[in-house]
Parts: sequence; C-alpha cells; structure tokens
Amino acid sequence: MNWKRIWLLPLIYLLMVGTVGAQEFKTTDGEVSFLSQAALNEFTGESDKLHGLLYPEKNQIDFYIDLNTLKTGIGLRDRHMRDNYLETEKYPFAEFSGKMEEPINLEMNQAQKVKALGVFKIHGKEKYMEIDGSLTKLSENEILLEASFEVKLGDFDIDIPKVMFYELSETQSVKIKAQLKK
Amino acid sequence: MNQLIVNRILKSLALPLLFLLLYGNTHAQLERKLVTADPEVELIFHAPRQINLMTVEPLEEKTLHFAIMHTFGPLNGGIRNLYGLDNGANIQFSFEYAFDDRFSLGASRSSRDKFYNLYGRYHLLRQNKSGSVPFSLSLMGAAGVNSTDYAFLQEEAPDFSERSSFVFQLMLARKISDKISLQLSPSLAYFNAPMPAYLIEGDQQLYLALGISGKYKLTGKSSLTLQWIPNLNSDLRNNVGVGIDIEAGGHVFQMYFVTSQALNEQYLLAGGNGVPGEEFRLGFNVNRIFATGSR
Repeated sequence: MNWKRIWLLPLIYLLMVGTVGAQEFKTTDGEVSFLSQAALNEFTGESDKLHGLLYPEKNQIDFYIDLNTLKTGIGLRDRHMRDNYLETEKYPFAEFSGKMEEPINLEMNQAQKVKALGVFKIHGKEKYMEIDGSLTKLSENEILLEASFEVKLGDFDIDIPKVMFYELSETQSVKIKAQLKK
Repeated sequence: MNQLIVNRILKSLALPLLFLLLYGNTHAQLERKLVTADPEVELIFHAPRQINLMTVEPLEEKTLHFAIMHTFGPLNGGIRNLYGLDNGANIQFSFEYAFDDRFSLGASRSSRDKFYNLYGRYHLLRQNKSGSVPFSLSLMGAAGVNSTDYAFLQEEAPDFSERSSFVFQLMLARKISDKISLQLSPSLAYFNAPMPAYLIEGDQQLYLALGISGKYKLTGKSSLTLQWIPNLNSDLRNNVGVGIDIEAGGHVFQMYFVTSQALNEQYLLAGGNGVPGEEFRLGFNVNRIFATGSR
C-alpha cells in the first residue's frame, strides 16, 4: 500500500458503512422482561434498553442488553442480583447473535412466525439456542419483533444457593419486544 | 528517527485495522456499550443496617425497609441460661420508607424502656466507579421518647420532654476494595433528662462517639462484620461488635456478638457496654425490603 494514500482509509470505511447501514434495522430501546417463578416468591425484572440489529438481506441478527439496566422493583434485590448472580462487573452484557432459520420475507402488518438460531451469551458462558418469535412489518422502515424463551441458570454457571431454591427459580422466562427502525 | 518508528508502527497496524473495520461490518454486530459509563459503587454494605449502626446503603424510591433486631442476655450466664438466650432480650422493630432515592423516613420501637424513635436518612454523596466521588456520605437524625410507665417511682414520673432524646449522625463510607468496606459515623446523642430510672449507664446529657463499621466479604453472599464505637466525652466503655452478614434474596440476615444490649442510636451511645468475654451477648437482625406502589 502506498503510504501517502493513507487518507483514503477513512473514506473507504465511510463508503462501506454508508452502503451497509442503509439496510439495517436497529433499536436501542427494546423491552426485555424476565419472570422468576419459585415456590415462595415470584418476581419480574424489566429493562427498556435492549439494543438490537436485524439485517434481512444478509439474514443476520444481533441483540444485546446491559444487564445493569434490569430492574425488579426492589433496589437491594437488583444490587444482589448484579453482584452475586449475574456478576455484571465482569460480565455486563447478555447477548444473542445468529440468523433466522429461513430468510425472512415480510408482508405489511402480518405477523410472521420465525425461528432464530444462534448463540446466547450471559455470565461469560455461551450456549447455542433456537428461539421462536414473530416479526411484523409495520412500515417500510419499521419491523416489530417479539420473542420469548427460557433460560436455565445452571446452563450458564449461575448458582442458586440451597437456601434460595424457594425464592429464585432455576428457569427464567424471558420475553423481548422491540421496534426496529431503518 | 522517532518519525520512522511511528511510521513503521502505523504501517503494520493499517492492514489489520482495515480488515477489522470491513470484517466488523460484514458480520453486522453492534458495538457493546454500557448504558451508564460511570456507575455508583454498589453494596458498600449488605443492608441499611449493620450490627447496631445504620449504613450509607440507600433505599430506592418507594421501597420499605423492615428490620427486626434482637439482642439476648450475656453469654456468661452459661448453659443454665442457654448462654443468654433465656433472658434479657431487647427487641426492636423498624420501618423505613424511601420517598426518593435520597431521602427516607423511619420509625422504630425497642422494648428496652419501650422506646419509640422517629428518624430520617439523607444520602448526600455516593461513591462512584471512576473515583471522582471517592466516598459515600449520608446524614441521619432521630428524635425518640421513652414510654415506660414510671408510676412505681416515689417522685413524679418524668414528663414528655424529660423522656425525649435525640441523635445526629454523619456516615462517611468507602468501598476500599471489592472485599473491604469501611464506614466512619461521628455521632452525637442528647438526652433532655438522663434519669437514673432509665436503662442507661450514662448520666450526662450529651454523648459524642465515633462509630466505626467494617465489612470483609467472605463469599459473594456473606461477609464478616465489625463494629467499634469509641466514646469521645464519657467514661463509659466502648462498644465492640463482631458478626456475619448473609444475603438471601430480599433478606439480609445479620448475626453478631456485641457488648451492648442497646438497639437504638441514643441508647447505643449512652447505654454503657460490657467487655468482650464478659457481658458479651448474641444478637441478630433480619432485614427485608418491600416494594410499594406501582413502578
């Protein structure tokens, strides 16, 4: 490479981003909730800071959430959850990256069932998952995504102490809902 | 010379960088970003109370903190009194409600002298990760009244004013490392009329003390706790406590050995203390936080 043409680099980059960016659907304020149903205690946690990317042409999806934004309604419980269970200092994000089982072909205002295949990562551990959901095209520039799945804490090395089995469920039901925009 | 080296480094980086940029794009991944770049340091202590002292640990808006605190009789009664469990119990219930993330109001009632206390806590500063705020600072004030029926006294029973006492406390705390937290609580207690009939050892009106609380994290869910409250203007013995905190969901259990039976702040300063080994007693607190209202 001719060193004097180094100024071309940012230009090339801008071009790439510019063309690629045009077909991406994104969100930074999707909703996530989880439900823990144990014998003695049932609670939900919520966040509206789900970041997501849907790229229909290339059939790619990528979602993540800053786990520090999950709220259960009791601050002390949130802090214990972050400190003891999710260990957000070390592992701040929950992530899912993958693709749709079949290329998506959406029609206006019709919910279409889809299956996402990919890797879910939380607490530093990864697991291949298949997640059922639905996509709805709200306009040329907007897609609504809804999905629900279950996360077993043991799969991700999140231990529940024996005294807590009545208070915290091993299986967490997770729901996501996001409007992705071009 | 320097220019040459810089150029060489830039050159060797240029291609991998270009590759990364392109690769990143074709694989369409979002950059992972934290929502809050410089968050507050959390769980300096496990709960709003530790042993007998309040901490800087805040309550979130519209949550209610309920604490049951209990101390037993002295250990040196031996097995005959089941090491103090048979007698001399003091029990305190307290409710503290947070109006917002900074300010909360509470009420407590301890069985010793049937003492009612109204208190407030205000969180002025909170330690953050970057260290631009290196410590948390909270204030606490309380007004209390002794409601024992003194009809048995020869002289006239004390009136409301004479039964009243007050306390003011500054709480300065820092999570020094992941495992160690420390709090200094300069405290002032004032009794309008410290009568001999009250279950306190002191006979002065004003008490000054420096509360020191320490926490050493053993595992993610339990910590060793320490409390030492040197008196600054009285000849009373200093308070010493050592215990363990265990987190279990919305609960925090605290078990400890302490030299005083007092559970409210005024009596803690004026009540007098035994020494470890003698007049040492077992105590425990149960802390529970409830959410109220809608979110």
